[in-house]
Amino acid sequence: MDWWVWVILVLVALVVLTTVTAVVQRRRRRGRVIGLGDAGRNDTP
Amino acid sequence: MTAPPPTLLLRARELTGRPVVTLDGELIAEIKDVVFERAGGRIAGFTLRNPGLFSRSRKDTVPWNGVHGVGRDALMVTDETVLAPIEELAPRQAARKGDVLDDRVLTDNGRDLGRVVDVVLQSGTGLEVVGYEVEASEALGTAGRRVLIPLPATVAVSGENLIVPAAATEFVAEDLTGFGAAVDAFRARLREG
Repeated sequence: MDWWVWVILVLVALVVLTTVTAVVQRRRRRGRVIGLGDAGRNDTP
Repeated sequence: MTAPPPTLLLRARELTGRPVVTLDGELIAEIKDVVFERAGGRIAGFTLRNPGLFSRSRKDTVPWNGVHGVGRDALMVTDETVLAPIEELAPRQAARKGDVLDDRVLTDNGRDLGRVVDVVLQSGTGLEVVGYEVEASEALGTAGRRVLIPLPATVAVSGENLIVPAAATEFVAEDLTGFGAAVDAFRARLREG
């Protein structure tokens, strides 16, 4: 393959990696609101 | 006679990322998750992560009895000795199942009110869950808009659905102003039967 094909592949891989990292980090930083305990819970509707 | 502490409404996700600081002024962590008890809706504590953009989650938590105060800009704790292991507050599996964000809110007569985007807390003597902020469905007549739904004292959950009494639809608010009064009126209605 020509050298410029490798350059494009590397750039595409970098963009994908950066996007995935940003999405994962955003989800992690969003935080959760967790309800614990059994009051009112009915797992078998 | 002492006056009751002033009540303040806030959204749970406003707390995410808030620094956790000791009374000595040391920054020890940031708030990651808010954990509440379904029975009574009281805040049980907070899970933590290290400060910084690419920070890791921590294996310790701040239980509510270790909180000195929840301020506008920081969560104050006496010192690091109040921290407790995460297994004591929110074991991993229970935490994963118990996350209410993105869950659907159903009335007890089967109407889908929308998807939870935040949880409304009321501060007073403690910090208590009093409502859900939902992205409203067609059933509320405000489809796509965010509205606030009051909750009874015990928060019912069935699988991935959050169940509220049908009367809650009569007390829906569009912002936090006056929502505290709507919660009080809703709970009074439930007590009257």
